[in-house]
Amino acid sequence: MKVSYFALLRDATKKRSEIRGRPASTVRDLLRDLAAEYGPNFARWILKDGELAGFAIILVNGQDVRGLQGLDTPLTPESDVFIFPPLAGG
Amino acid sequence: MHGWIGKILRVDLGTGKVSTEALKPELARDYIGARGLGTKYMYDEVDPTVDPLSPANKLIFASGPMTGTFAPSAGRYDVVTKGPLTGTIAASNSGGAWGPELKYAGYDMLILEGRAAKPVYLWIQDDKVEIRDASHLWGKDVPETTETLNAETAADAKIACIGPAGEAMSYIAAIMNDMQRAAGRTGVGAVMGSKNLKAVVVRGTGAVTVADKEAFLAAVAKASTMIKEHPVGGTGLRLYGTNVLVNILNSVGGLPTANFQDGHFETADKVGGETLAANQLQRPKGCFSCIISCGRATKVSNPKYKGEGEGPEYETAWGFGPDCRIDNLDAVVKANYYCNEYGLDTISMGGTVACAMELYHRGIITKEDTEGLDLDFGNADAMVEAVRLTGLGQGFGRKLALGSYRLASLYGHPELSMTVKKQEMPAYDPRAVQGIGLNYATNNRGGCHVRGYTISPEVLGVPFKVDKDSIEGKAELVALFQNLTAALDSTGSCLFTTFGIGAPEFAELMTALTGFAYSGDSFLAAGERVWNLERLWNLKAGLTAADDTLPPRLLNEPIVTGPSKGAVSRLPEMLPLYYGARGWDADGVPTREKLSALELA
Amino acid sequence: MSMMLMIHPDKCTGCRNCELACSMEHEGNFRPKASRVHVYTWEREGFSVPMMCQQCKDAACVTVCMPKAMHRNPENGQVELDADKCIGCKMCVQACPFGCASWDFLGSQILKCDTCDGAPSCAAICPTHALEWVEDTVSAQARKRSFAAKLKNAFAEV
Repeated sequence: MKVSYFALLRDATKKRSEIRGRPASTVRDLLRDLAAEYGPNFARWILKDGELAGFAIILVNGQDVRGLQGLDTPLTPESDVFIFPPLAGG
Repeated sequence: MHGWIGKILRVDLGTGKVSTEALKPELARDYIGARGLGTKYMYDEVDPTVDPLSPANKLIFASGPMTGTFAPSAGRYDVVTKGPLTGTIAASNSGGAWGPELKYAGYDMLILEGRAAKPVYLWIQDDKVEIRDASHLWGKDVPETTETLNAETAADAKIACIGPAGEAMSYIAAIMNDMQRAAGRTGVGAVMGSKNLKAVVVRGTGAVTVADKEAFLAAVAKASTMIKEHPVGGTGLRLYGTNVLVNILNSVGGLPTANFQDGHFETADKVGGETLAANQLQRPKGCFSCIISCGRATKVSNPKYKGEGEGPEYETAWGFGPDCRIDNLDAVVKANYYCNEYGLDTISMGGTVACAMELYHRGIITKEDTEGLDLDFGNADAMVEAVRLTGLGQGFGRKLALGSYRLASLYGHPELSMTVKKQEMPAYDPRAVQGIGLNYATNNRGGCHVRGYTISPEVLGVPFKVDKDSIEGKAELVALFQNLTAALDSTGSCLFTTFGIGAPEFAELMTALTGFAYSGDSFLAAGERVWNLERLWNLKAGLTAADDTLPPRLLNEPIVTGPSKGAVSRLPEMLPLYYGARGWDADGVPTREKLSALELA
Repeated sequence: MSMMLMIHPDKCTGCRNCELACSMEHEGNFRPKASRVHVYTWEREGFSVPMMCQQCKDAACVTVCMPKAMHRNPENGQVELDADKCIGCKMCVQACPFGCASWDFLGSQILKCDTCDGAPSCAAICPTHALEWVEDTVSAQARKRSFAAKLKNAFAEV
């Protein structure tokens, strides 16, 4: 599974993207692993009380999980996951 | 009056007559200021069928009631005129410190009429207004003009001027203020050029007053806190600027690529905000009274594209980057610098180069037409040179200066121009994000994102998430965003404040500042009034419902690659719903009932 | 130990909120020309520096003030202006090497930072903490440490 990071999350992970070998069956599992691995600088943008933090954006294969099953969106080894902290522009 | 100064400065450049007049309080209350009030004056004073580049067109510089106060990020002004690029009513909005200075000099608006016989500039010091010779400045770029004028007037004077592109009346020319900020869209720089007006220099020593000081301080504190503490407004924009959007738009498949032939660009990250922050960024900059600081002071040390200045914004990085299939950020930033220096709108310039690249790629134009420029997709050097030539009005740049619609039409292919009402669309693909396409098609100044920024709910999920691929509820959403933006533009506020606050907070600020009682609803109604007035102007100018459309490519040719592969815009389904939501008839004409409800009839 | 206004030009975005807050605090309206702090911006480089009275120990404005309107408050170490004694001769304006005493011809008054009586509104509003109201010893140490870090990085590169 490929996971890509953007904006402040690149500072938190020191990575643009990585291939993850450890299986994660849902977005929730994946985020829990990542939060444990990268600590509060990662987690505070993404998770709040175990749920998706407001305005964080998680895409699975280009689809926003808020339009899928949220944190329960299933993942496969082929999933392409993009994780954005809250952001804006215009 | 409080908030407003209560005075308008009028200068006839043809006769040299300078006069002032009082601002009518009820007009100020109902049209607020800046975009709204400027449009009201245009509507009352100028025939909408006027040739935009003739002396009969007027050029209005209008500040808002919040301009010059410390309401958060509210130091803006609008240039209101008939836009030569679009033929619509135009209001181009800019930050920096020029707008506040006009108010400190004692004026809410400056109305310019006629045409000077030779190049001139205007020097406004409080009550003293002079029309001065500008023959020594004609031909100079924006930084040189600014520095020369600061030296010959006052070091702390604020300057709005045109560069060579405006002098040559390029349809995509901007008016630049404070050297780096642009009133960019709709070709307002050409109107200034047509009046032989090189610059407006202002220095003011007066004050903007407040009706209820305690209430205003409280409203400002509340609004500032809401913006600073909002997860998207608080830190991200300062760290990465607006260009942080490259990756998210690309990731959802909504990043127009190669003149909108596709919606996904493999190497987009190379021109994104993260890359800029790691390389060219020197420090964040803020416009007057800004608490967000999305501006980018940047520097390119690569000798080939060497320079320093401000930018790029997201739309600029996209226009010179993915839309031209270019991923060289140094080149993109250099193209931005040329636009600032010569006074060009970066979005229209990017879109025009992309269109020329498609014409070239398809063999519709050749090296003979481009005078030797190998203007194919991906050629960063050719892109940068094309921008330079456009700014200076040389070679093939003379044709690019027409904008993409007139350029593509010259060669018999207007359908390759990615424009609405002849203005280049910005960096969000209407096939991947349905609501923004409806906003482009119905926008009163043509292809424009900032007057109905539905990307916020459709992609970013702010203030709530809606499905970008659905058309359900989009008509109402677009109308609401357009109304809110028309009202907040008219206050002098920056659009980005809406990442933290909404109509109720604007109403509180306006009530405390001006002493007129606004509610969230009456504030939104003022925005709706402005939107409908703009619509009335455009209809009188000869535009019809047939102009509320998108380029055929977006309606018929699906996105080729990426997450939005296969999508097209469903505009034809949304448009009748939008007219209904607006209270307009099937031809997009506001009904008598709607106009009387808005006190426009 | 006393408090001082520490200026961090590297953090200044040029927004001039400090000028507006100062004007509102002292004049009750928004008139940057009456502000006691001014931000200077170099637009080509995009660099801004806020400037205000530095409360000098050996203050030229105090030395030249004939009616002793400009004086040092021994309790907090600040240079203060007694408006009742001021005759408007503008000698302090002439004398300040930083240009941080100025004459407001509209208000017929000397403009000089009074630190808002120990709670400067400019520092309170500054969105990037480019202006900070801090203990003078703490601020100096922080500045020293930050410069030392730059030196360390410079040496680390060679």
